[in-house]
Amino acid sequence: MTAEIVAWLAQDGITNGAIYALLALALLLVFTVTRVIFVPQGEFIAYAALSLALMESGRVPGTIYILLAGGALAAAMETARAVRERALARLPRILALYVVLPAAVAGAVWWAVPRNLAQWVQILLVLAMVVPLGPIMYRVAYQPLASASVLVLFIVSMAVHYVLMGLSLVFFGGEGLRSRPFSEGQFQLGVLNVSAQSLWVVAASLVLIAALWFLFERTIYGKALRATAVNRVGARLVGIPTNLMGQLSFLLAAFIGAVSGILISPITTLYYDTGFIIGLKGFVGAILGGMVSYPLAAVGALAVGLLESFASFWASAYKESIVFTLIIPVLVWLSLRSHHVEEEEEK
Amino acid sequence: MTPARAAFGLFLAFLVAAPFALPEFYVTLMNYIGLAALVTLGLVLLTGVAGLMSFGQQAFVGIGAYATGVLTTVYAVSPWLSLPAGLALTGLAALGIGAITVRLSGHYLPISTIAWGIALYFVFGNLEILGRYNGLQGVPPITVGGWTVDSGRDSYVLIWVATLAALVAARNLLDSRSGRAVRALRFRGTMAESFGVDTARLKLVVFLYAALLAALSGWLYAHFLRFVSPGPFNVNAGIEYLFMAVVGGASSVWGAVVGASVLTMLKEWLKDILPALFEQSGNYEVIVFGVLMVALLHRTSAGLMPAFARLVPTSRREARPREAAPLARRERPRAGEPLLDVRAAHKQFGGLVAVSHLSFDMKSGEILGLIGPNGAGKSTMFNLITGVLAADDGEILFRGERIDRLPSRDIARRGIGRTFQHVNLVGAMSVLENVAIGAHLRGRHGSVASILRLDRAEEARLRAEAARQVERAGLGEHLLDAAGSLPLGQQRLVEIARALAADPVLLLLDEPAAGLRYREKQALAALLRGLREEGISILLVEHDMDFVMGLVDRLVVMDFGEKLAEGLPQEIQRNPAVIEAYLGGIE
Amino acid sequence: MNRTLLAAVAAAATLGAAAAHAEITIGVTLGATGPGASLGIHYKNAFQLMPKTLGGEPVKYVILEDGSDATNAGKNARKLITEDRVDAIMGSNGVPSSLQIAQVAFETKTPYVCLTPISLPPEKYHWTFVVPQPTELMMGAVAEHMKANGVKTVGFIGFSDGWGDLMYKATTHHAAAYGYKVVTDERYARADTSVTGQILKILAAKPDAVVVGGSGTGGALPHVALVERGYKGRIYHNHGTVNAEFIKVGGKAVEGAIAPTGPLIVPEELPANYPTKKVSLDFTKRYEEAFGAGRRNAFGGYSYDGVLILDAAVPAALKKAKPGTPEFRAALRDALEGVKNVVGSHGVYNMTATNHNGQDERARVLVRVENGVWRLLK
Repeated sequence: MTAEIVAWLAQDGITNGAIYALLALALLLVFTVTRVIFVPQGEFIAYAALSLALMESGRVPGTIYILLAGGALAAAMETARAVRERALARLPRILALYVVLPAAVAGAVWWAVPRNLAQWVQILLVLAMVVPLGPIMYRVAYQPLASASVLVLFIVSMAVHYVLMGLSLVFFGGEGLRSRPFSEGQFQLGVLNVSAQSLWVVAASLVLIAALWFLFERTIYGKALRATAVNRVGARLVGIPTNLMGQLSFLLAAFIGAVSGILISPITTLYYDTGFIIGLKGFVGAILGGMVSYPLAAVGALAVGLLESFASFWASAYKESIVFTLIIPVLVWLSLRSHHVEEEEEK
Repeated sequence: MTPARAAFGLFLAFLVAAPFALPEFYVTLMNYIGLAALVTLGLVLLTGVAGLMSFGQQAFVGIGAYATGVLTTVYAVSPWLSLPAGLALTGLAALGIGAITVRLSGHYLPISTIAWGIALYFVFGNLEILGRYNGLQGVPPITVGGWTVDSGRDSYVLIWVATLAALVAARNLLDSRSGRAVRALRFRGTMAESFGVDTARLKLVVFLYAALLAALSGWLYAHFLRFVSPGPFNVNAGIEYLFMAVVGGASSVWGAVVGASVLTMLKEWLKDILPALFEQSGNYEVIVFGVLMVALLHRTSAGLMPAFARLVPTSRREARPREAAPLARRERPRAGEPLLDVRAAHKQFGGLVAVSHLSFDMKSGEILGLIGPNGAGKSTMFNLITGVLAADDGEILFRGERIDRLPSRDIARRGIGRTFQHVNLVGAMSVLENVAIGAHLRGRHGSVASILRLDRAEEARLRAEAARQVERAGLGEHLLDAAGSLPLGQQRLVEIARALAADPVLLLLDEPAAGLRYREKQALAALLRGLREEGISILLVEHDMDFVMGLVDRLVVMDFGEKLAEGLPQEIQRNPAVIEAYLGGIE
Repeated sequence: MNRTLLAAVAAAATLGAAAAHAEITIGVTLGATGPGASLGIHYKNAFQLMPKTLGGEPVKYVILEDGSDATNAGKNARKLITEDRVDAIMGSNGVPSSLQIAQVAFETKTPYVCLTPISLPPEKYHWTFVVPQPTELMMGAVAEHMKANGVKTVGFIGFSDGWGDLMYKATTHHAAAYGYKVVTDERYARADTSVTGQILKILAAKPDAVVVGGSGTGGALPHVALVERGYKGRIYHNHGTVNAEFIKVGGKAVEGAIAPTGPLIVPEELPANYPTKKVSLDFTKRYEEAFGAGRRNAFGGYSYDGVLILDAAVPAALKKAKPGTPEFRAALRDALEGVKNVVGSHGVYNMTATNHNGQDERARVLVRVENGVWRLLK
């Protein structure tokens, strides 16, 4: 193996690792705040990437129907609760959030698609379509089970993943799609010929990670999220609305997923079911980071990306075997260091 | 005949009638249900009961299936030899993987199960001898004597005999000495260790059992379908089994059958019904399936089994234990012999010193009170003596032997029984069963004996002993109630009964009177005095000073991890430092 | 619990009860979802274009979804045979699924028209007839082309699944006869986001040409990566890759890609006397009318040809027995074995007792991507 090959593999690993790192952060965020192992995280990647590719080829992505239907479902559930609690004053807000807003987004997409607008406009529209799916998903599927065990929440995650993957196949078809790169440029970096797109990926990951850090350290919402993560009951006692925090964490996760999808869609072929395995690798990264620390999760994810890249060179048929077997010793080492905390018995 | 037995009888009758009454395809479906139920049953024990989440069971199914696939097709070995070979191989793999991963805590375990599941899938797909991704064709049918098991109805017999056997074995296991310990693993591992349960070993046993069930299912699968390929052993299959466990109800062995049946049937019905509703077939099955699952869990997050159980009006399943010969008791030290000797024990959590070079000793037959303000380090001291925490420095001797380096289960073996400040009962188990965990070390039959029901005589004695201790603690009328349903004060009494069931020489009680009413406190005091008469020594942490002063022989007072004073109750009550610590802090 | 289950099972039994039928019933299991969805969708689409009669008798197609999973495919096969009492079974996309169905067909003595190129031990072929061209036949065209262009070393990269295995086998199968050496066996998954490692390995081996054993848009990823890294040799694909989406995803990078395929991909360019010209052209036209321009592919044609073969065999079987009986199934099997000169969209089928595929060189053409479309390579 020459130094040039090592450099190439490292570059590839870092690009992939940057995406895994973003996902690891999102998964960690959702897990600590809501105890949900967020399997559908990968779906945001696929939805964003495939919606963008479809819009570029002048077709209206089915994502808007999911948004409208999901919003309607959430509105129905919220309305039922408002009626039950005799708090009809909440109705206008419910309507605005779950019906009017999705309808506005859907209308805008409908209007924009045939006009073939600039790429950045399309990207904004994709974000407007995909990101609200996060909080809607939390409201519809998870909020009624907020106090269930991690196992039950995981099974719900799998079920939601099935639903979204099925819809994805219906709306995007079985073949893969790719979107246009933001920039076609290439840079010479030593022996490496680095594409501008992969720089975009790494740069955007860094910016997002910094933004998350800022959110958590410097804003009241971030602090409330952290408080909920540390102690859900305690957070509720001091007046933090934990359901809102759940929605907020899902919103951030959806945003991160959508951005990841938009970033990688020009450099690889994405399928309706690609998100799952990408999300899984992000999850492995988060686990390597101990499922508690954001910087460690990012480092863990980067390690997964690098390991994968080198494994695909050495023995590509066994790539996944190598990646997933090598994390076991790391896991053992981590667990020996960690304190064992027993799960709380459900009431 | 109880309704529960009647229900089981009906189920058996259905199973016997099914191959004659059902159309061919439904017999086939029952075969798939049986195969899945076997794996799911292992998961119920592993995940639902013992709390170890696994996404990796399909890998063991795969090992079982491939072992017999290769041996029978490539080496022409009889399936009856490839079964033990497959089980042995799976057992070895499970012990290897389990030894590493079962001890992983928290979320590391599930992710490591995903990891080995994925890794093994690609190994299956890339090995030439396993037929790579295209798999092994022409797996021969099983023959029993002159009977060739090659039709769906023949396979049915084999599959369901195996499934029923596994169900009965699992039920027997849970209803035994080992089973009680298994049921404590999920939420109460520390407690179980304190009563002598080797939780790491027990987890490995459950893991092994689940893996062997999966391998058995794999063996049956290979000979029923006559073809083995890697597809059915990918990580999605593992998640499907978990689905079945959760939907069925992960806390009951019957949940495995319910979950496997409901999911298998549901998928078939969706396949039949949906194409009539939608033009494009196929695409919508998985969507509708997912929606139904979420809706179901919203209604009942405990799975379907509790709902099924309500259909069968059970009288209390568990019977009051009959009288049985008492268990052997420990030889007791004579009164006044040195019992416990704590020498400069020290424990620090980061910068916080919880116990600071503390020394005291106890003689046999004594009731020693350990008092002090909140946060003085009393419970930490308890945890050091019982091995729940390891001391940073100093020595602790019990009857002249150093115990401060021993794990808590070995300390329990030497005759130290304890209660916990935060009640540490298995809420879903009856008072009787909770107390019987205390007597764990007084029995010796293991998992295999309990599966084969060879443990019944011993089990009767254990249960009788537990019942005696419950009576003694004044909870006779609650013997068969779920421990979690009692008020907190009474739960503390259950804790004492459990400690007594261990036949201790030294009893460590952490705030036993908290939450008790006046009369109950008097009864408790009388009980403790009675124990002292029997030669049981007691180390007591308690905040109720009236209770303490009337009971103890001597007192040790702690504050900020240090010993503030030591002496007779009257001396302590007059000690200015103690008064300062207790009253000075209030200002 | 038992009561409920019993009631449920009974309800299901009545629901699925097979009515006595005089018509011919064909059972189909395909995976239009799951990992093989991109292929399965086309296989399934073609059933909307099928004739309403077989050998003059009305026909009913019972189509089940197997999610590209072998266990499900086997379960579906058993369901079709025991519940719907089908006269023949067709399916599936994916080698393991098809092998599993072949096993069930063998056990239940049901004629099986297989839609994936599989190979079975000779005795197991009894009930199974394979529609697609053997992979060796297809890759033989590639081997010929490579020999003609002086290729001595070949790099292989394929899916890490059954398809990849088949393609690797077919590529190495011809190596000695056509004087080349396969120097790499790299694998990737359809869902992988990067194949940099594998590509570097191939580049290090400096092969004269590269064969990609992927399918559909999945074939684009290694091709694009090879071109991006400056690989100048020819890049060959296989018949699984030949569709318009591949070019859409691959863009300019896949210009010049060469692949073998059935004649139905380029019927317009076939010489007028080409034996399949009419059938290929007709099917492709109808397929694109129904599912959109540029949607032509090899897979829909396999479903279509399978039905054409059955159509040719049914009259002989009808003379011997009534549909819905074991005798009819046995007669249909015998008749399938005697099918001669059936012109399909992919080729001309001549079955014999020892050849249950019956295709020849007429069933393959080489195509090349030129200006963003697949064109016949003459």
